Amino acid sequence: MNESLMTLSKVNTWFANEKTITGKPVSWIKAVNDVTLNIYKGESLGLVGESGCGKSTLGRTILRLVPLHSGGIRFMGDDIASLYGKKLRPFRSKMQMVFQDPKASLNPKMNIFKILSEALYLNTVLGKKDFLEQGVKLLNLVDLRPEHIFRYPHEFSGGQQQRISIARALATDPDFIVFDEATSALDVSVQAQVINLIHELRRQLKLTYLFISHDLSIMAHACDRVAVMYAGQIVEVQKAQSLFSAPRHPYTRALKDAVPVADPSSKKGLSILKGEVAKLSDLPSGCYFHPRCEFKQDICSKEPPDVYKTGKRSWVRCHFQEALWEQRELMDTKESA
Amino acid sequence: MEKTIPQKARQKTKAILEVRDLNVAFKTARGKAKILEGVNFELFPKEILALVGETGSGKSVTAKSILNLFGNYPGQIQGQVWFDTQDLLTLKDAQLESIRGNRISMVFQNPQSSINPLFTLGEQISRLIRLYLVPEIKMARQENNLTEKQAVIHIARQKLNEVGLTDIDRLLKSYAGEISGGMAQRYRIALALLSSPEILIADEATSALDVTVQAHILKLMKALCQKKQTAILFITHDLGIAAQICDRVAVMYAGRIVEVAKTKSLFENPLHPYTRGLLKAVPKFGKKEDLSFVPGMIPDLVHPPKGCRFHTRCSQAMTICRREKPRRVAAESRHDVSCFLYELEK
Amino acid sequence: MELQAESYEQMAKQVVKEHRQVKWFLLGQLLKRKAAMLSLIILVLTVTAALFAPWVAPYPDQGMGAVNISQRLSPPSNEHLLGTDIYGRDMLSRVICGARISIFGGMFIVVTAAFIGVPLGLWAGYNEGKSGAVIIKVVELFLSFPATLIAMAITILFGAGWSTALIALVIPWWPWYTRLVQGEVLSIKQMLYVEAARMLGYGKIYIIFRHLLPNVITPVIVMILLDLGPAIIAIGLLSFLGLGTQPPMADWGLMVWEGAQNILSEWWIAIVPGCAMFIVVTAFNIFGDALKDILTPGRSSG
Repeated sequence: MNESLMTLSKVNTWFANEKTITGKPVSWIKAVNDVTLNIYKGESLGLVGESGCGKSTLGRTILRLVPLHSGGIRFMGDDIASLYGKKLRPFRSKMQMVFQDPKASLNPKMNIFKILSEALYLNTVLGKKDFLEQGVKLLNLVDLRPEHIFRYPHEFSGGQQQRISIARALATDPDFIVFDEATSALDVSVQAQVINLIHELRRQLKLTYLFISHDLSIMAHACDRVAVMYAGQIVEVQKAQSLFSAPRHPYTRALKDAVPVADPSSKKGLSILKGEVAKLSDLPSGCYFHPRCEFKQDICSKEPPDVYKTGKRSWVRCHFQEALWEQRELMDTKESA
Repeated sequence: MEKTIPQKARQKTKAILEVRDLNVAFKTARGKAKILEGVNFELFPKEILALVGETGSGKSVTAKSILNLFGNYPGQIQGQVWFDTQDLLTLKDAQLESIRGNRISMVFQNPQSSINPLFTLGEQISRLIRLYLVPEIKMARQENNLTEKQAVIHIARQKLNEVGLTDIDRLLKSYAGEISGGMAQRYRIALALLSSPEILIADEATSALDVTVQAHILKLMKALCQKKQTAILFITHDLGIAAQICDRVAVMYAGRIVEVAKTKSLFENPLHPYTRGLLKAVPKFGKKEDLSFVPGMIPDLVHPPKGCRFHTRCSQAMTICRREKPRRVAAESRHDVSCFLYELEK
Repeated sequence: MELQAESYEQMAKQVVKEHRQVKWFLLGQLLKRKAAMLSLIILVLTVTAALFAPWVAPYPDQGMGAVNISQRLSPPSNEHLLGTDIYGRDMLSRVICGARISIFGGMFIVVTAAFIGVPLGLWAGYNEGKSGAVIIKVVELFLSFPATLIAMAITILFGAGWSTALIALVIPWWPWYTRLVQGEVLSIKQMLYVEAARMLGYGKIYIIFRHLLPNVITPVIVMILLDLGPAIIAIGLLSFLGLGTQPPMADWGLMVWEGAQNILSEWWIAIVPGCAMFIVVTAFNIFGDALKDILTPGRSSG
């Protein structure tokens, strides 16, 4: 757990918003800004944020599916930031992704065997004749029955389709998987099944994964550590459990308080965060969160905050994190009194 | 099959909407799918009732059958939907038109696509104001000495302000595609509540939105409906929403309502095995343990299981569950459940 | 795995059987529609007749253009079911032989156009770079002129004749397929399975053939069927203007032109090929429409 599997340093992913006639970008959509992050071997890291905060783009950046603007990415010590196209192929089988929409991630014209074979080709240990056996093994691994293997995607329910996607991701025997909102389209009881499956697979296969979701409440079940993202920037990294008992960043707290809890006796109600999400094409000065922050001071709109370490592998990006923390504790003691 | 409540008893309940023995079947390639089977519930004035269920439980179909929104879809609807003294299912389209959007409004999941993209937001709201708020227009004209057009804009501004929209001048000139999902949903709610309807049906109205935006909208809907004394039928898959803003909750499974209770009673003391399973599957803040879940899948509604539709996944299934359909019994006061575990006790 | 190879084969067979049932069900749906069924029968009959014209036609030599002056301009009778034309040739035989150029010519135009247009569309849709942009510009250029106008210009330049006419019609026809396919590809490309394949390291060519092509085949087939009617009419139009088939050979358009001069006195000479063209074109349209309805996904599931 101490070795870093994926190291991101000052990663920026920007897309050209407007271009001149010669194709030179005039303005940018800054989807990922200055992300420095370590993902350790065997860890499950959560990435949470609202839609349009760049969390999916970050996932795709890590897997080198979108062009990088600047910054470094090292995977198991190898620099993959400077590689393109064919040179990335050796790494492809080591990193996989499971997408949100299970229906759209499976080709409707291919049966499950063909879908899995496509990924098994990359698994250099196997010969073609082993594919069927390996395919059945993979289906077993994700709790599907062997007789499903010649069926087509539309013959499965959403939860089953997502299991097939997971099986495909596992087919290349990867070290690292990105789950991009992999359970968001599923019903709660099916979501619970899939998350338990992911846990089980992690135990069996010693996987490291990044779990991207907009749903804060699922994080503690799915992950060890959680990174909170706002406007392309990671504002807080914390252990999953302490993130809920002690959120450091004002945004994390607002996000947490907005989730409706399935418990009518919970008194906190729904708290409201004012304003609209920052536009990635027109980011505010200083701290990106300051226009919506209830604790903002003059400095917040002028200087971008530094990173403050709050624990061994946790930190927060806020000017006033210590002051806030004390205030928070005060409030909590008042509430409980 | 549950008995139809006789006419006299019906009037005593004071419900503004009563769904009685609603059965809906659709023709599909593989045969007739029995989407709804004997759905019964009532909506009281000013209350917020959550209709909770997973994909394929028939919650949206229930909402659509209330206002008969299926168009020419090959299906059958049987049963009664009492609104006032009328059975909505017997009304002709022209009669329904005068109720839809006027006395019963709807808000859908995808706000942008339920706003006409060809007209500006201002044009659309003005048209509805002219339709529903004639006395208000008159009043505004007299009080502020305005032309009719100015009066309409004045009211539009008020109404949009009510739903927490800002920068209204720009908004009135924009088109559906130019505004964010949260703004669009607010605008939709403003439109839906213009006529001060007796009932607002919200079909997954906040599911496509971010949590922070969702929190806004939920609070707003609750506050506005209290003010206008509108009852809400809130259709959702999110038990958290049901717990936070609803007075009563009805849980649906495979086309039947399995449990109806006051929110507190349902969450503290769930009775039906399905409700219990569902509640345990909801992720909880800061808890590390594995989630429990209801094993198995939602049944095929072309060939639904005989007897109780849940028995194939129920850990407490008995022989009678496989043979007969459970009736709705009041297990506790104002806590009804359709399950033999409680029916036999009685 | 305890499962033996045989049981896999059985599994495969079972699934194939079930899928075949679905296909039969869809075919059943098609045949249930009376208009589609009738169109299919008409199409099978005309295509067979055209294929075996020398054996089916009562006077094959007249069908191919042999003159029979003694019988000229005789109205429909027992001997000549649909009458004879100005040179005394049997109209029925002429129509059957003319069907060869009209129907097979139409098929040639549409299928060739698809063969040129589909690959270009796949490429242009998948590559939004320079090559794709050039293809789309060319397509737009062609689409901005009426197809028949371009074909007429080409036949005038290179000389009239049925073979020139066919090629002249293919040239403005393929861009439609490119545009259809390019549009489809633009949306299929967004599908996550394409991204999944890219993530596995697969290249352009593989993705185009394995993921994009199978998913655009259905709309292309439907468009081919719906285009056959217009193609037949276009050939007829060129021939009618004297730019296509040259006498003494026949196609329906040419025959209509030959008959048009005497339409008031010898009506059957123009009406017979006209009706043939109308019936076949309508049949292709109805059948194509029905097929489109049934193959469009999302219709059968409730």
